[in-house]
Amino acid sequence: MARRMLDASNQGLLLQFWLATSSLSKGKTRMDRNRLQHQAASMRRSLFDQGYLDEPFIQLEELQDDASPNFVQEIVTLFYTDSARLIQNIEHALNSRPIDFDKLDDYMHQFKGSSSSIRAKKVTNECTVFREYCSAENAEGCMRSFQQVKQDYAILRRKLEVYLQMVRQAAVSQKA
Amino acid sequence: MAPAFPSGDDRADFGTGGHRQFSFHDIVLRNRLTALVVDGVDFCRLVEQGFLRSCGLETQGVNNGDAAVELIASGAKFDLIIIDMFLPVMDGLETTRRIRALGERCKIVGVSAYIGENDREAFLAAGGDVFSEKPVSPEVLIPILRELDGQYSNI
Repeated sequence: MARRMLDASNQGLLLQFWLATSSLSKGKTRMDRNRLQHQAASMRRSLFDQGYLDEPFIQLEELQDDASPNFVQEIVTLFYTDSARLIQNIEHALNSRPIDFDKLDDYMHQFKGSSSSIRAKKVTNECTVFREYCSAENAEGCMRSFQQVKQDYAILRRKLEVYLQMVRQAAVSQKA
Repeated sequence: MAPAFPSGDDRADFGTGGHRQFSFHDIVLRNRLTALVVDGVDFCRLVEQGFLRSCGLETQGVNNGDAAVELIASGAKFDLIIIDMFLPVMDGLETTRRIRALGERCKIVGVSAYIGENDREAFLAAGGDVFSEKPVSPEVLIPILRELDGQYSNI
């Protein structure tokens, strides 16, 4: 399922990336290190171009430094934890009868706050759509929209993991 | 050593036609400024505090309005308070009112994931200064920090 979430272009990038790291482990060149960095940059560009992340995501990366060397991974991990909790809460609220639309709105409010803070563009936009259905107490619309939110979130999470893995590998290669 | 994120042309203009937007590194403070971040979501609070620290501020964070009011009532002083409007138990509006009722006159920035028609007016009426959609951007925050730092004193 995870592989299906990577479209063809990202699969191509990933294949090139693994080939480059493989050649690196055999003690190859600066060219391979540059290729890793370039591929990480391309992966990030694709996240922006496909609308999963907004370009101000780079501001979050700029917060990482030697004093906070794992800042991005820490906040991304916290985002996943918060998101999992909120998604579970929303699912539970949608499955309750009668549906408490005020509670649903509150959960989605928090989720939108989180997703906008990490610059998750598609997820944030769909949260707004969900809220409109929620305000209209349209249960079917909420359920449809929530399916889209979950799908966009799952794809974002998978792509972000690939990107961060590329960055880590490129950093390791610089030390080699 | 911190992993280095990609640099190069995909950082150049943030998609703004060649005009680079503000960065949180675009400010150098002359004075020691402090900030309190009030946000019920741990991830959001960490990000907001991270941005403020990168601008050179010392920060504290709390996850609810009661804790913020208690901190101010205990005598803690801040140059800036950022409050999320959506807080557990006591919301951001009431938190703002109570902070002002304690006589605190620092700059208060309200943030919200959604901005409704009357939200900004309600926040200003509660005693807030600036209201922004989440996430708060450098374009909103940096002019405020420069003002607090007295960098506009010659204007």
